[in-house]
Amino acid sequence: MPEIFIDGQAIQAEPDQTVLQAALANGIFIPYFCWHPHLSVHGNCRICVVEVEAKGGSWLDISCNMPVTEGMHVLTDSEEVRAQRKAILQFVTLNHPVDCGICDKAGECTLQDYHFAYNGSPSISRDAKVHATKFFDLSKRIVLDNERCILCSRCVRFTREISKSHALGIENRADHSLVRPAEDRRFDDDPYSDNVIDICPVGALLSKQFLYKARVWYLEPTPSVCPGCERGCAVQIWHRRPEWRLNALDPRQNAEIARVTPLENPAVNGPWICNKGRDLARIFERARAEQPMLKGKPVELAAAIDAARRLIDEARHAVALVSNWGSNEELAAFKQALAGRFAASFVKRDRQPEPGERIEDDFLIRADKNPNTAGARALFDDAPAALPDGADLVLVWGEGCDFGRLPRGAKTVFLGSYLAPENGHADVFIPVSIQTERRGSYTNFAGTVSPFEPCFAKKPSVADAETLFAALAQRERATA
Amino acid sequence: MGGRKLLMTFPVTATSHTLADYRARGGYETLAKVLREKKPEDVTKEVAASGLQGRGGAAFPVGRKWQVVHLDDGQPHYLCANADEGEPGTFKDRWILENAPHLLLESMLISSYALQVRNAFVYIRGEFDLPYRRLAAAVEEAYEAGYFGTDILGSPFACDIVVYRGAGSYVCGEASALITSIEGKRGYPRNRPPRLTVKGLYQKPTVINNVESLSNVTGIVRDGAEAFKKVGTPKAPGTRLFSVSGHINKPGVYEVEGGYPFADFLRNELGGMLGGRKLKAVIPGGISAKVLTAAEIEPLPLDQPVFEAAGSTLGSGGMIVIAEGTCMVRLLQVMLRFYHHESCGQCTPCREGMGWLHRVIDRIVAGEGRLEDIETMHHVSRWNDGTTICGMGDAAGYATVAILEKFRDEFEYWIANKRSKCNGVLEVGNA
Repeated sequence: MPEIFIDGQAIQAEPDQTVLQAALANGIFIPYFCWHPHLSVHGNCRICVVEVEAKGGSWLDISCNMPVTEGMHVLTDSEEVRAQRKAILQFVTLNHPVDCGICDKAGECTLQDYHFAYNGSPSISRDAKVHATKFFDLSKRIVLDNERCILCSRCVRFTREISKSHALGIENRADHSLVRPAEDRRFDDDPYSDNVIDICPVGALLSKQFLYKARVWYLEPTPSVCPGCERGCAVQIWHRRPEWRLNALDPRQNAEIARVTPLENPAVNGPWICNKGRDLARIFERARAEQPMLKGKPVELAAAIDAARRLIDEARHAVALVSNWGSNEELAAFKQALAGRFAASFVKRDRQPEPGERIEDDFLIRADKNPNTAGARALFDDAPAALPDGADLVLVWGEGCDFGRLPRGAKTVFLGSYLAPENGHADVFIPVSIQTERRGSYTNFAGTVSPFEPCFAKKPSVADAETLFAALAQRERATA
Repeated sequence: MGGRKLLMTFPVTATSHTLADYRARGGYETLAKVLREKKPEDVTKEVAASGLQGRGGAAFPVGRKWQVVHLDDGQPHYLCANADEGEPGTFKDRWILENAPHLLLESMLISSYALQVRNAFVYIRGEFDLPYRRLAAAVEEAYEAGYFGTDILGSPFACDIVVYRGAGSYVCGEASALITSIEGKRGYPRNRPPRLTVKGLYQKPTVINNVESLSNVTGIVRDGAEAFKKVGTPKAPGTRLFSVSGHINKPGVYEVEGGYPFADFLRNELGGMLGGRKLKAVIPGGISAKVLTAAEIEPLPLDQPVFEAAGSTLGSGGMIVIAEGTCMVRLLQVMLRFYHHESCGQCTPCREGMGWLHRVIDRIVAGEGRLEDIETMHHVSRWNDGTTICGMGDAAGYATVAILEKFRDEFEYWIANKRSKCNGVLEVGNA
């Protein structure tokens, strides 16, 4: 373990670390644009410059490519370093449009932060800026503003080293350089493409979904888990901060998912997620079922619960199909409160791959498109191809059940979240909350348990499955 | 004239570049002798002892570069001749490629033997046509004669050579960009560490030498390091090829022994100034070398350490002689247009700085300059010094600063009067 000294502070560095890594690992910040912990070192932004003090005089070089050597003395904030950083930032902003006022990245932009921290002066250039393409369609999901681009090449390296689509490259030279799709590749074919939006240190790569939707400081992230497949990537669901609620303008936005970004979890997904994880709104913001019903007739939630409880009491051979979108807590509540009342309880696959969706790859995407199959199967058996005949009650929890194939004559209790024709056909329909409205956890295919937090409040007419199961388990007082 | 010769030792004829003529001059005998009698490390020792310095611009000792490669490291090694000769004003390697391609090939074979290289490369400038055809023909001849391939001249030594044509990028003459280009990637220079002699082409130890540096190897091995050191000056032994252009009567490629006085060179070899004009300045070693005024260069001998002490360098040997009457503002404009065009765009200071300098000088020439623009150009040059991945940013900065400092009056005149102090026109030949 080489001992090095950064700003006079003794640090035990790992032998294969660079000065930048050793500094960051020990809480000393050195600014960087092009360096990224999960990408190769390119050393092109030159902002991570440090001063190395040596006997023969000191010298400046970039810290991201500087191996640690025993006893070296490094200064991260000497006068020379500050002067060079400032000069580099003058170069970086030379042809950058500084249009923060209309840039989605403003508020979480590295360049903005560094400008205030390390430069702070207006440009000393008197010449016109070099113009480049605005609104270049990099893919159906991503728009590129070449004027804002600082050519750090993180996105290019991402497609080469992480997603391996090799879909991006740099064209032309000098200050005419442009990030462009490779001639023979389509960035649309890269299911991980949106990660380049997150790793872009400036507002050059922007999500079309999120374009001009919100200023980021009006939003806050809630830690969650992507339910798109059994990988269970850690994500952050961004939504409007309560203190910035919109009351008059468009109140619907208060309960909408503004965007989804990855939450770094080395055990599951590293810092990346796939594009499906970005589109959670497409899953969670489908038309919701919020009205409890008895054979299609609207009733109060309490009445629906009563009716369901009665059906369970009366059944002689009841079968349950539990949801693999249920959280571990809900599944445990079902097991504990209700499983004894059912002749058999099976795990149902709520969702199947959608047409055109990538089924599986060797990076993140898994074939099972449900988040908690592992958690559910730890408690219940897989559903057989056909339910046993003779069942007189079927409790269906979650989507993906073909009601036409249920045993004939059996009564049905359906716990669902979205508008669907089956809702009205069930003898009892009870709307239940979705992931963004409750707290819980999923167990992924490898056995890693990841928690999620609620982002929005559920409607009063919607039940929470965990408490619902306890309520359904209570026998009628009359019969007790 | 110009002292002893080591490379231009034969009269150039219609066939002097062929294998037959080269053999008649004793060609490939040194290779045979080396393969028969010498161990690889002996060759490296000889080259190191000769004190041969790189001729591509940086004047780095060739032997020191070679000694970094460990013969017993169990890895493949690569040798690459840098024939990308893109430095404006430089066309000396072209002479070797056109007239003595076999000298380069024999030297590369000897070097490959010394470094235990199985695959050697020549990265040749894409714009070179005749040099490429001559070199390709020479490679073919050498293969037919059994100098390449396996069991070369009956020894167990095997070596193959690939001639790789560049696509016209200036930066690809920089060693790391050159190998990146050979690898089939965009010609971006690489950060050091690691050095290329540790991790170069395909991440294996790679030695990259200029064509002229390599071409000296045969002579050094044939005649011995001591004989080589007797030529030239103690600190920079040997001869140098100079490609001289500009306002002189006899532009061309000349071989000059180290230490030969510049004044004699100008008067004797170059035939004096064109039209009898006065010498104004000389860019001694490609446009990236700092300009020297007439007063500065006239007393100097052509010796690398002396030129370094004078604040410039003999660099790549691309000498541009500038006569009185030449407008240095426009000269700088042409240079900066080149640097802007050729900056690879990888690292920030050069990518943005070269365009910045170009726009400022264009504006000055357009008559919209201000005095503080000179400071801006100093600022941009200052922050390209030592801040970039490769040496191009530094070199452009040095060249700019030298012209700005030494001819500041011309810039101030243009800014004040919106026209050249030199009347903007140089009518050479009509004088």
